[in-house]
Amino acid sequence: MSTLIHQARRVPRIAEAAVERARLTVVPRARSRRAARVPFMALVSLLLVGGVAGLLFFNTSMQQASFTATSLEDRAERLEAREQGLQMELERLRNPQRVAVQAKAMGMVPGAAPAFVRLSDGAVLGQPRPATVDDGLRVTPLPTPKPRELDPKPMVIKPAAGSRAGRQGVDGAASPAVTARTGTHETQSHQQGSLR
Amino acid sequence: MRLRIGFLLVSMVVSVFAVRLFQLQGVDAQAYVAKARAEGVVTVDLPATRGKITDRNGVAFATSVDGLMLVADPTVTVKHASEIATIIARRLDIDYFDVLARLRKPLTRFQYIARRVPATQARAVLAAIDRRGYKGIDLRRDPLRSYPADDVAANVVGFVNEAGKGGDGAELLFDKRLSGEDGTATYEVGGGNRIPLGDNSTVPARSGKDLRLTIDRDVQWYTQRVLRSAVQGSRGLSGSAVVMDTRTGELLAVADFPTYDPNEPSLSKKEDIGARALRDVYEPGSVEKVLTASSLIDAGKVTPSTRITVPSQLKVQDRVIGDWFDHDELHLTLTGVIARSSNIGTVLAASRLSSRRMYGYLRGFGLGARTGLGDPGESPGLLRGWRDWADIDHATAAFGQGLSVNAVQMAAAVNTIGNDGVYVAPSLVKGRATTSGGATVGSDATTTHRVVSRRAARLTAQMMEAVTNPLTGTAAAAGVPGYRVAGKTGTAQRVGPRCGCYNGTFTASFAGFAPADQPRFSVYVVVQDPKNGGGGGSIGGPVFGRVMSYLLEKYAVPPTGAVAPTPRIYWGRGGRLPQ
Repeated sequence: MSTLIHQARRVPRIAEAAVERARLTVVPRARSRRAARVPFMALVSLLLVGGVAGLLFFNTSMQQASFTATSLEDRAERLEAREQGLQMELERLRNPQRVAVQAKAMGMVPGAAPAFVRLSDGAVLGQPRPATVDDGLRVTPLPTPKPRELDPKPMVIKPAAGSRAGRQGVDGAASPAVTARTGTHETQSHQQGSLR
Repeated sequence: MRLRIGFLLVSMVVSVFAVRLFQLQGVDAQAYVAKARAEGVVTVDLPATRGKITDRNGVAFATSVDGLMLVADPTVTVKHASEIATIIARRLDIDYFDVLARLRKPLTRFQYIARRVPATQARAVLAAIDRRGYKGIDLRRDPLRSYPADDVAANVVGFVNEAGKGGDGAELLFDKRLSGEDGTATYEVGGGNRIPLGDNSTVPARSGKDLRLTIDRDVQWYTQRVLRSAVQGSRGLSGSAVVMDTRTGELLAVADFPTYDPNEPSLSKKEDIGARALRDVYEPGSVEKVLTASSLIDAGKVTPSTRITVPSQLKVQDRVIGDWFDHDELHLTLTGVIARSSNIGTVLAASRLSSRRMYGYLRGFGLGARTGLGDPGESPGLLRGWRDWADIDHATAAFGQGLSVNAVQMAAAVNTIGNDGVYVAPSLVKGRATTSGGATVGSDATTTHRVVSRRAARLTAQMMEAVTNPLTGTAAAAGVPGYRVAGKTGTAQRVGPRCGCYNGTFTASFAGFAPADQPRFSVYVVVQDPKNGGGGGSIGGPVFGRVMSYLLEKYAVPPTGAVAPTPRIYWGRGGRLPQ
């Protein structure tokens, strides 16, 4: 090889540049730098294992999330049902009928006449008057009338004039009749008798 | 040779495969796809939550509670059907054999067992079934309708029937708005849980919209109780009371008695369901005289002090018109005619107005036409055209016989006087809402039109004050101490349902507004067929007085402080007061 180079040098200078260009040289043999196999294999298997494991994990966590979701949904539903139960209880307690029956049991009656106090000068507007038992309102319906067979006409016995025993008898017979006609609860019956 | 036999065998096997493949993919493909879908795939309805119905302050009249339905998979339950049916029938009070049949139904995997069960109860049943180890019963959402105020405003609110649709009242009228749209969910199930990456699709349910009424629950309750008291106290057949905001036409209460409990509509008589105040028509009687009087004043024919000589009876055509009280010749002013409720006086005054004009005024007051609440069950009442009026029809129309109205109509008509002569159409819905029929109704969509002049309305109101004046009028019980109250009684002959003629029974009514010089509320009360001998003043008057005084107190309306002018009801030498 060295002789070849040497001979070429002897070529006249005339086409030196061209010759220089055309001169063949041996390509140096590429050094085979083989990549290390181990890290690559490690990477690939890591990816593979990681992927499979990840997928598995993902799947599992999805399942887990699904279980949690179901149980939470269940709980939410139960809590909602409870809330609604309480709401219904509240509505029941706020029912105007219930409030009125209780107020009546406490001896209350609706206001007799609307009247107002003007705060600026303390003047009373309207004609206030204290409510009396006559202002009461029957808030429960009359009991369903009994069939005639079960509710016979009371027998009225005229007492002998001045006879004390006779009077008592009539009074005693009259009061249950009043209760039956107007009364609702036993506790209210004595009041209701006098109301409209 | 062996090779060929081998080939032959292989090709035979392959062709069998091919035929099978063709059968699966080509012939039965759809059936198999469906089968695969059905396996483990669940489709459930997602019931839409029905909108609430509330009063004007947002207090609930009707709410949807989370009920649950019990459903069964009969392929699973058939094994222990009788045991499961025993548990369900005992706890939910439904028929054992009915449940049993459903639990054993062949060829299905879905059966309704019980619907609209309160959530806690349904869960308890399921827990009891689970405890014994039986399978195949499941719970699903199923909204339940609850009416926490029971019979309060039931006539207006209505109820929801077994099918979950509106059965009456607002529930029926606004069914479309309230019900929303059901959705569906489809998903794959494994072991009771959704399979996360499985097929699933959801069409969400669209909840119904709420509906706000103009009714005030407390006023409604009070009105209903006062009315019930009055109807039962007078042994009447039925009654209605209407409370109206004078300026806006909003109905604060529409009470009927007898009414029903919407939680258990089937327990009530059929005729008690629905709004009598809209449905029942009757002859209004003397209350209608205020419409006649204001029309006459508006037309310039009379003034409150117009002198009218009232004979003891009046012959019109072949009929004799009398007054409710016997009297000799009376010298009443128009105010006196209203205060004493004289039929004859009204007829004499009304004779100054042509039938055509009177008809026009009555139509203006809203008679003979639906009130525009949108309720298809409302009766328009009856007002014959003026061309068909004979003299007697003109005369009777002047004092409210021979024509018929419903209670809300009459309330709106009298309210016109309180509202300075402007008719305002009543409304039951706060804001606006579209009915299922497509009409827009509500307090924002209300219409008004002038019927009589402001002056005519004011003068009529002053005459109506004489009615509640203990010295001059027929209904002192309707007064509210300290307030100026305008009112009018009515005791009309009632047309019986059977003969279609006056059968000797009466309709007692009372209409009015307060404070008379600055009206805020109009109240109209009517009691059908009272049997205690009372009239509009003694039966309707006290109801009016109580309800009005409650309203004034609740809405903090102080007295105006103005003093009512002393009414002059007689002229000249007057007449003898009936005893």
